[in-house]
Amino acid sequence: MNDTPGADPAGAPATAPEPKPKRPRVAPPRLGGTFLGGARSRLLPMSVPFRWFGIATAFHLLAWFVLALGATQWPFWRGGLGWPLAALHAVTLGTLVASAVGASLQLLPVATRQGLRWPRLAGWMAYGFVPGLVLLLLGMGLARPTWLAAGGAAVIGVLLLWALLLAGNLRGAAGMPGVLLHGWGALAALLLLAASAASLLALWLGQSLFARDTLRALHLAMGVFGVMGLLLLGLSSVLLPMFALGSVPADRDQLACGATMLAALLLAALAAFSAAPLALRALALAAAAAAFARHVQLMRRVLAGGMRRDLGRAARLFHAGWAAGAAALLLAAAQLAAASRGHADAAETLGHLFVLAAVLGWQGSLLFGVLQRILPFLASMHAARGRSRAPMPSALAWDSPLAWHERGHFVALLLLAAAVVTRSPGWLLAAAAAGAGGALAFAAFFVVLVRRLARAAGDDDQP
Amino acid sequence: MTARVWQEADGTHIDVRGLPPPRPLAQIMRLVMQQPEGGVVIVHHERDPLLLYPELAQIGWFAEPIPGDPGEVRLKLRRAP
Repeated sequence: MNDTPGADPAGAPATAPEPKPKRPRVAPPRLGGTFLGGARSRLLPMSVPFRWFGIATAFHLLAWFVLALGATQWPFWRGGLGWPLAALHAVTLGTLVASAVGASLQLLPVATRQGLRWPRLAGWMAYGFVPGLVLLLLGMGLARPTWLAAGGAAVIGVLLLWALLLAGNLRGAAGMPGVLLHGWGALAALLLLAASAASLLALWLGQSLFARDTLRALHLAMGVFGVMGLLLLGLSSVLLPMFALGSVPADRDQLACGATMLAALLLAALAAFSAAPLALRALALAAAAAAFARHVQLMRRVLAGGMRRDLGRAARLFHAGWAAGAAALLLAAAQLAAASRGHADAAETLGHLFVLAAVLGWQGSLLFGVLQRILPFLASMHAARGRSRAPMPSALAWDSPLAWHERGHFVALLLLAAAVVTRSPGWLLAAAAAGAGGALAFAAFFVVLVRRLARAAGDDDQP
Repeated sequence: MTARVWQEADGTHIDVRGLPPPRPLAQIMRLVMQQPEGGVVIVHHERDPLLLYPELAQIGWFAEPIPGDPGEVRLKLRRAP
């Protein structure tokens, strides 16, 4: 690299004989992903990621209505088919996974510096995902195994296509060993999650491949700590330094976290197939707790050392998410202790509280913190294409509904915890009302953002 | 991994080539936020820094492309008038 502006970087002699010496400088490019073929291909059409974020927003709202439908089943529900199970999957698949698909397809090509293969496929996948998921939820809620199987097959198919896209992008990436380890680990967990889901569907159709408890344990571990857990850990190492303008954790620290979480997943998978799983589960939990604690320590250091100290609502959601994650691990330990002593009812309640704390508390809070921070920036990035200046992200976002979303989210979490402990339909309905209010506020934020983005970007590529 | 930063007559230069994301974004923004009134930052990058433009816009700055070496993206960052 030549430090001196105007110097000939190619080192051509100053007395070159050509009558019109060609300067090896390139013409001033246009901004915002419009001038480099590679850069442009890394930026998907905005309709693709925003379609997935829209799906996440819609299912976030739908999940609370589905939960309310399960109020009468709530006192007797033990984890099988029913509207509570449908509500759980509306959140895990509809909100968490759909957000992860949108974020990974948008950000991973930018981070790995290579374009996504088959970008149109990324958009088409949504057309299989939404009807498949709706059918799956109806199959769960109405206890219709054939609907469940058809919807589940469609969703699994889409998730495998997502895995294919991610694998293609991760394969050629270099220079980010921590992110790559988390990405490949999440992909491996996704395959196990899909396999366990297919086996559970087969069980409902009368085809028994493995015991139900084995499959449920594997499904839960791969879903919570595998796919979403590893993706959140890996993406946080990229996104939080961006948000805070802080230092990126050292590669060895990221690798240690990822490897420990992968060890936890391996132990959990072995425990699922073991005849005496308690010791293996305890080891898996200890490994997951070690990985999580180290990750949170690294992320808190990033936030504390960054130039941008006040991340406001997003930071509150991050910290609440980490607190809920720690609570989830403690609840899992308590559940294990209760199960080992034969306290089946207590173990069941603690298990439900663990799922609530892990899914909605840890992963939901972190995800909403990330989404409300990054969506306006992604919108501005898309609106900037071909323009000399990007619109201000804050000008694209309607901020005030996010305060209501935050309140609704936290109140719903507490009310839902009360509903789990008391098994009261009243608490459940109150939680659903608070959650739906928050989700509606988030939907308002998202709709306004998309409308302003469409206005800013013109009509050529509306989401 | 830290970017090379040096001073020239046309502003403060930062070369982030070879750094994996998100280090370029974070280090450019840290430098921008340390600039005095009227400060100019020249960025030497190997790719179009897509996520940089919204970050700049949010703090009232903008990027202007200027000629650079082959394969280089060179940007002049300054406060919007």
